[in-house]
Amino acid sequence: MRPSAINYMNTHILPSFEYYEPKSLGEALELLDRLGGDAKVLAGGTDLLVKMKTGALRPKYIVNIKRIPGLRYIRLEEGVLRIGALTTWHDLEEDPVVERFPALADAVKQMGGLQIRVMGTIAGNLCNASPAADAAPPLLVYDAEVVLASVKGVRTVKLEDFFVGPGKTVMQPNELLVEIRVPAKGGSSAFVKLSRTSMDLAIASAAVYAEFEGEVVKEARVALGSVAPTPIRARKTEAVLKGRRVSEEGLIELLRTVSEEVNPITDVRASAWYRREVSRVLVYDALLKAFERSRGGRA
Amino acid sequence: MRVSFKLNGRPVEVDVAPNELLINVLRDKLKLTGTKYGCGIGECGACTVLVDGKPVLSCLTLAVDVNGREVVTVEGVSEDGNPTPVQRALVEEGAIQCGYCTPGFVMVGEYLRSKKRAYSEEEIRSLIRGNLCRCTGYVNIVKALAKALGGG
Amino acid sequence: MSEHVFIGRRAPRHDALPKVTGALKFANDLEAPGMLIGRIYRSPYAFADIARVDVSEAERLGAVVITPDEVPRKLFNPRLVSVDEVTYKDHLILTKRPRYIGEPIAAVAAPSEELAQRALESIRIEVERVYKPVLDPFEAMSPSAPLIHEEIMKGDQVLKVERNIAARLSYTEGDVDKAFREASVVVERSFRSGKRYHMQLEPKAVLCVPEPGGKLTIYATTQTIHNTRILISQLFDIPESKITVVKVPIGGSFGSSIQVNYLVPIAVALCLKARRPVKIAYTREEDMLDHSNYVFHMRLKVGAKRDGEIIAGEFHNILDIGAHQIQAYPLLGTSLGWFVSMYKWKNIRYEGVAVYTNKVPSCALRGYGAPEVQWAVETVIDELAEELGVDPVELRLKNYVGRGDIFWGQGPTVRSVIKSDGVPELLLKGRELIGWDKRGRPEEKKGRFRRGIGLGRGFHTSGAGGPISGEVIDFTGAVLKLNEDGTLDYITALQDHGGGTLDAHVKIIAEELQVPPERINLALATTENTPYDVCTHASRGVFVGGEAARRAASIVKQKILEAAVRLLPMAVNPEALRIRYDPAREDAVIYVEGMPEYSITLRELARKVWQKNWGTIAAVVTYRATSAPPSFTVYYVEVEVDTWTGKVRPVRVVAGADVGTPINPDMVEGQLHGGFAMAWGMVFSEDTPYNPETGELANRFLITDYKIPTAQDLPRLEDFKAVIASTKEPSGPFGAKGLGEAAMNPAAAAICNAIYNATGVRVYELPVTPDKLLKLIKEREGPA
Ligand SMILES: Cc1cc2nc3c(=O)[nH]c(=O)nc-3n(C[C@H](O)[C@H](O)[C@H](O)COP(=O)(O)OP(=O)(O)OC[C@H]3O[C@@H](n4cnc5c(N)ncnc54)[C@H](O)[C@@H]3O)c2cc1C
Ligand code: FES
Ligand code: FES
Repeated sequence: MRPSAINYMNTHILPSFEYYEPKSLGEALELLDRLGGDAKVLAGGTDLLVKMKTGALRPKYIVNIKRIPGLRYIRLEEGVLRIGALTTWHDLEEDPVVERFPALADAVKQMGGLQIRVMGTIAGNLCNASPAADAAPPLLVYDAEVVLASVKGVRTVKLEDFFVGPGKTVMQPNELLVEIRVPAKGGSSAFVKLSRTSMDLAIASAAVYAEFEGEVVKEARVALGSVAPTPIRARKTEAVLKGRRVSEEGLIELLRTVSEEVNPITDVRASAWYRREVSRVLVYDALLKAFERSRGGRA
Repeated sequence: MRVSFKLNGRPVEVDVAPNELLINVLRDKLKLTGTKYGCGIGECGACTVLVDGKPVLSCLTLAVDVNGREVVTVEGVSEDGNPTPVQRALVEEGAIQCGYCTPGFVMVGEYLRSKKRAYSEEEIRSLIRGNLCRCTGYVNIVKALAKALGGG
Repeated sequence: MSEHVFIGRRAPRHDALPKVTGALKFANDLEAPGMLIGRIYRSPYAFADIARVDVSEAERLGAVVITPDEVPRKLFNPRLVSVDEVTYKDHLILTKRPRYIGEPIAAVAAPSEELAQRALESIRIEVERVYKPVLDPFEAMSPSAPLIHEEIMKGDQVLKVERNIAARLSYTEGDVDKAFREASVVVERSFRSGKRYHMQLEPKAVLCVPEPGGKLTIYATTQTIHNTRILISQLFDIPESKITVVKVPIGGSFGSSIQVNYLVPIAVALCLKARRPVKIAYTREEDMLDHSNYVFHMRLKVGAKRDGEIIAGEFHNILDIGAHQIQAYPLLGTSLGWFVSMYKWKNIRYEGVAVYTNKVPSCALRGYGAPEVQWAVETVIDELAEELGVDPVELRLKNYVGRGDIFWGQGPTVRSVIKSDGVPELLLKGRELIGWDKRGRPEEKKGRFRRGIGLGRGFHTSGAGGPISGEVIDFTGAVLKLNEDGTLDYITALQDHGGGTLDAHVKIIAEELQVPPERINLALATTENTPYDVCTHASRGVFVGGEAARRAASIVKQKILEAAVRLLPMAVNPEALRIRYDPAREDAVIYVEGMPEYSITLRELARKVWQKNWGTIAAVVTYRATSAPPSFTVYYVEVEVDTWTGKVRPVRVVAGADVGTPINPDMVEGQLHGGFAMAWGMVFSEDTPYNPETGELANRFLITDYKIPTAQDLPRLEDFKAVIASTKEPSGPFGAKGLGEAAMNPAAAAICNAIYNATGVRVYELPVTPDKLLKLIKEREGPA
């Protein structure tokens, strides 16, 4: 029988590591290139330090990127929202520009508690690659991209292609996520999350971006969190929604496709059965919320 | 590593190892035990302090990370030795039972007060959800914060 | 409330300012020069035999280490409350036969936590045998299940354990079978509760300091300094006079320190070996492995006549107690007490069995089984009302145990007659306030979001006192002395967990002596300077401790009057004198009745008594209550159920409490708020399930996956109404009773009955997570 790890957990203290505090992006990239897989990037630390305390991770090197200038910004330029690697959830919360991305604004409101939002970065949320990451569904329906930098140069990856599995992304150990790019679109959007209490990771979550003509869905994008090994787009459902009226009777039944597209597991938060059941309700709720918003005239 | 920062208005310098956490440096090295350990993993808010004016969990903050910054703990919020409006309201509204969670609520309350705007009850409830209290059911805490923040 | 000057007045608690400024020191905030930090090596297996514990590397690292062979090997029970003959002992300080994951096997102490942790991680164990954990009590009782304990002690007798049964208790009254045959309606249901964790905000901590002359001083998070001292004295064979346990503030408890927590004897053993101060502060995860509550598997059967008269009640109670007994045997008795004192069943049959499993040892959690039993009883009563076609409020009014009836909440050996009873007032007021009569029936409710109103009624005892000695120890003491400037020092071993117990005591003394509460100092209390107090448990703080304080004050008052006679020579004797609070002088004034011009303030009196060498005016009281009257509570709760997701939202709450005279009305309300929040967690999320293969907690001990409600999950201010009944308890100080536990007890039942009223779904298993509730709703409504 596998012994419990109880003696290797101590949430009072952190195991020791070698510490680096690069003062420039270049220096950080050099370091990551040199230190390789034994190094971990530290941003807000709200995922990383917890994992270190609970013994899930024992990195040899920590590269704290928080002192790198120029990585903390929110800019809407030429129809693209650019979010820097060190931008926190709270920065977004305080910036009115986020209102133009209502699904993201919804996620910000429901993420963690105030202190976690003050500390945690959106980039860290994506890099941590939890299937439950609250930033993922909204950014997926906005067709966001992430910019990854390394000593070799810079590449841009669609967020949809970014996640590989729980805790896994396409990022190489020597890469740093430097920017998130979110194209602004004309439609409406919303994000909803179901959790055990108001301060919790999602049991399941859903974001919908839609363009409506009156009550008719012209275009829809649907993404879900915590119902598969990675956050996912639900393309079948998107196709099903196209041309439907939001007031249509039995819309919730139509959304059964969602339950087919998800691939949930049973864990402490909920059963696979439950996640499958509620994922379509979440999509339904997000769609209706987006629709309400569209009538309020806000994208 | 030697870090220097402003603590409750006064400059301090301490030697810390990179893996030392702010909560332990404050409590053990600087003897400010008002900041409480409740979980060490970000769930309870009892360890909240202000770093550059913003509420941060000292249990998930490296001490080296506050180098050059300004840290305020519950011991340092008072105004000329007098309790702040947030502290006074918590006392007056019976928001304190065992008091273990209280420093964390004070710190969040002080941050909200620094924003100089009114908060609705709903907003207050949402903004304190990162602070757990097992005794009060939050009723009197919400009342107190509404009072101190000129709840609108 | 006008008859009192200080009682019933809202006033900030004495320690509010030190708490809000962070100045108050809890156990973990203390330190001593040369102090070492202790860490506990815990069993990584749920059930195993350990051949050897290798600590050589830990010692090489410079740590002080203790192993099972180096500590006293006496079986003990960490909770001293039953008399010796019925105290079941099965614990060891450190064990080679761990019976749950996390059971202490060894411990280290080193100058820093980091070094201690490194030493801890270097410890190796040689395992002789690992057993498959037994986690289900029914499985544990099967003859083929391995024995978790083979032999335990009951008092000084060796007891062989059979089928993992730790203790049992049965009881009958009347002819139950006949009554059921005669009943027109019989309802029989099974229930199971969750294994909840206290989640008090402060994880346990202890500091043990060796003193010159072989003495020890212990600062610990505890509800009982005296029992801590007795246990340490017994375990280590140190006379009580050489051990001082100091009362330190405690960051909530809810029963989690009703017993001496495991870290205390371990810290003592480390301290004795190291001859240096040792502090151990649990991580949150360790705290979760130190205590959680009992799991109740209950079967209830009740019968009533057509006219709504209840005539029979049967209760089958299997307690999953975890790996050790803390108070399993008394709980079998109190469970029965909770049951019989709810309704006049007339014919009663009870079968209680406490069963060992390889889980964290169970202890009391706010209500000591009452929330679970009352949830089950109030659900069954709701169903009974429905079957009978009578209003659930009426059915309760007709059958509840109230004034004039025999009450024995704390079990068969602690009975007394009920003298104050606010139940009708609370039931009827609450019914109005919540709009009970308009709540509708579940069948009428359609659509996705459905609202429902539920009722739960219950009580808790005020202490465990009674007219005869019984099997439970329950008495307290108080010391009060008048200082030379007219202030007072009040010393009590009773602990205030946060509910404001000691502020209530201060008000009681203030009222008796007519001095402002600010003049009464709550003095540092240790085992050295206080008479014995059993424990702050069972909501006895105000009723029992408050009465001790009142008696001390009353003795002091008499002595004050006697001194005053000597200072006011016109008075013939103390009976001619009165004492009253004079707001102008902010002092108590002693005066000749009818002639207020002949008077002296307490300040002047105190000074003169000192100057004239008359000695100190003081009182030492030890007090046993001869009853444990019920504090009744009534909850009406409205919820809204999302029938598509199983999520439930609280809409409105009316919480009613009969606490006799409310000494601190604001603290009474505070208890109700906190009690409801805890019940909300109990119903919807709180549980510590185990991995059936490994016996590990499924949440890996992390509170990330032990969810308690946040401010955002609970009702808005305007939707929570507290109602306090206007009763007076003749046996309590100024008419007061307790509240702490009653504030929560029936709330879970009210919530579950509200869910039923909204959806038609009955909840028989807690917690009912959205996951489970959705399943129940779907089962009821059939395939969509
Ligand atoms: C109490 C609590 C509540 C929480 N609630 C939620 C919630 O409701 N919803 C939710 O989604 N999450 C939640 N989280 C998780 C966490 O807060 C978020 O994922 C947060 O956004 C992580 O950001 P960070 O800056 O703290 O990341 P860090 O912990 O610093 O880093 C996370 C991971 O990403 C890597 N990393 C970080 N930045 C970069 C970068 N720029 N380039 C490359 N790698 C990088 C790190 O090496 C690490 O592996 C919660 C956490 C806690 C402790
Ligand atoms: S101790 Fe930091 S959040 Fe709990
Ligand atoms: S007052 Fe005890 S936890 Fe908040």
